[in-house]
Amino acid sequence: MKRLIEPTLRPFTIFAGTIVVLALIDRGTGYFFSLATAFSVMQLFATLSLVALGLGLSMLIREFDLSVAGVVGLSGCIAVLTGAAHPWFGLLCGLAAGIASGALQGFIMTRLQLSSVGVTLGGLLTMQGITYVLTGNRSIAYGNLPVALGLNAPIASILSVRSAVALAVFFAAAAVMAWTHLGRDVVATGSDRRAAMVAGVKTDRVVIGVFTASGAFAALAGVLLSYSLGAASPAALSDVLAPAAAAAIIGGVSVVGGRGHPLGIAAGVLTLSLLRSGLSAIGVSPHVHEIVTGAILLGIGILEGPDLARRVIAWRLNRTQLESLP
Amino acid sequence: MTAAIETERPPWRRRWLNGNARRRAVTAIRLFAFAALAIWSIATPGFVSPLSLSALMTAISFIGCVAVGMTFITLTGNIMSLSLGVTLSAAALVFLSSLALGIVGACIVAVLFGVAVSGVQGIVIGYFRANPILVSIAALALITGISELVTGGQRVYPTAANFAFFKSRIAGIPVTTLIFLGAVALGELILSGTRFGRAMRMVGSNWRAAEAAGLNAATVVTGAYLLAGAFSAVSGILLAARYGSGDMELGAGYDYSAIAAVLVGGTAIQGGEGSVLRTLIGVSVIAAVEVVLLLRGFPEELQYLVTGIIVLLVIMLHTIGGRE
Repeated sequence: MKRLIEPTLRPFTIFAGTIVVLALIDRGTGYFFSLATAFSVMQLFATLSLVALGLGLSMLIREFDLSVAGVVGLSGCIAVLTGAAHPWFGLLCGLAAGIASGALQGFIMTRLQLSSVGVTLGGLLTMQGITYVLTGNRSIAYGNLPVALGLNAPIASILSVRSAVALAVFFAAAAVMAWTHLGRDVVATGSDRRAAMVAGVKTDRVVIGVFTASGAFAALAGVLLSYSLGAASPAALSDVLAPAAAAAIIGGVSVVGGRGHPLGIAAGVLTLSLLRSGLSAIGVSPHVHEIVTGAILLGIGILEGPDLARRVIAWRLNRTQLESLP
Repeated sequence: MTAAIETERPPWRRRWLNGNARRRAVTAIRLFAFAALAIWSIATPGFVSPLSLSALMTAISFIGCVAVGMTFITLTGNIMSLSLGVTLSAAALVFLSSLALGIVGACIVAVLFGVAVSGVQGIVIGYFRANPILVSIAALALITGISELVTGGQRVYPTAANFAFFKSRIAGIPVTTLIFLGAVALGELILSGTRFGRAMRMVGSNWRAAEAAGLNAATVVTGAYLLAGAFSAVSGILLAARYGSGDMELGAGYDYSAIAAVLVGGTAIQGGEGSVLRTLIGVSVIAAVEVVLLLRGFPEELQYLVTGIIVLLVIMLHTIGGRE
């Protein structure tokens, strides 16, 4: 029983728990357990999961990539602007922008030994600026309707091209993390960077690599989302940071670094997507979902606070001392 | 000894100037940039006119109050808060819906609301040392969700109100600007003139040393967040009075503009070093660049890009100059 709430299994326990709770609310009315709900959960998964994966990987090495929100917007706009005739060319351009920005930020961080929050904050503002300049602060329509429809067409009634691509990226990332030296190096860099460096891990390369990967994932998410919406606008995609961070945290990634796994992040994203479509299927206001996300994030943030245990012990000691007074 | 350490560095980490010379070089670059901006501004036709300067001052007042609040958060070593923008919006809504208490009463209620919302985050971050970015993202989601639920996503209009005071001028200066300058003066007074201000700097530069010196670091951080909430709420009141109504979009993007101003002013992102006056300079520099771009006929979108690049450069420059 205790193993189920251990960090590695916790995301899956939370996911199963969410299903049970929603099933209890649903009680066989069939609102909730349907293929349509499963499809919409997977569509939400496709939008959120890749951003959460990039952010989660950066948290895994004890950094924080604020720029994912900027990359999603920028790559989406670039793809829509360049890919009207050739969607693959647009995809390549969008991915190139994400990879370049991630690599550049990682390079600046390691060479100048800067904090990731500062650099990615500058990166985020710069990329938002580029997006505004490219689009002229307007919403750009994507004329290639067949691509938009094709990306969202159901496969095996649950998946779509979009969610299948996201799932494939997750399995690839999980395989790399589990079975290669690279995965081990990433975890080592996150646990104790100095020790990892002494042990021969090229930590600077790991940092640059993780930020490049994060940029690529966010770019892929942005391109697929803009293609399937048939439009890109500079402002619309900026609300992605909170759910992505929440998903990564629920997925067992620790802000202190060194702990977390792609499949855990996937479970975290699925939990959030399930909550959102489950709550809306039951007819609850979408803002309740936002409150639940925030509450979970705050709760885990408090639980992971390094001084929590100290405060609780001090408080208990004070109480027992007070009680033992005559 | 120093030489031995120098040679141990990998080639790309070798310093191209030693500590003091680096710092002087960075200061020179900064002064040069200021001088260039000043000359560029004055050379721009229409910049030095009462109308344009007054518009500039009004424009920086709203963002400026939030930036003053953000300064305390950055200074105590908590980098930034992503929830000050929504705190501003929610405080504006609270102000608009409590106007039955009179303007002064509504202002007090709104500021208390900002203080409470931000203070809770301060307690969590200070006493449990929870990750400040994470807590602020959680607060962003919570405040947005609860506010939208309460208002039903509708705009909030004041019941009965007279905002003439906020739109008036005293000695030719808009009241909004005076309130902002008052906020700067108050913030600088707290930071430089009180023990609490000194404590904030100490906690920001070294948490453990501050605790060892007998400071209650958790309480200091909570205090910094209380102040940030109060100053954001003031900005919310000013915006609500200006537009005569409000919704949750009122403060959208203000967190990023505020942290940009704080960093451009030269407050260190790792905390411990900085001041409210620097933030005033940062806000003014960004606003001046935007006005000059506008007057010279560049598209509005370019402003966002230039601001982003300036922030990125300043962060890099500051760390080159500040590190040992």
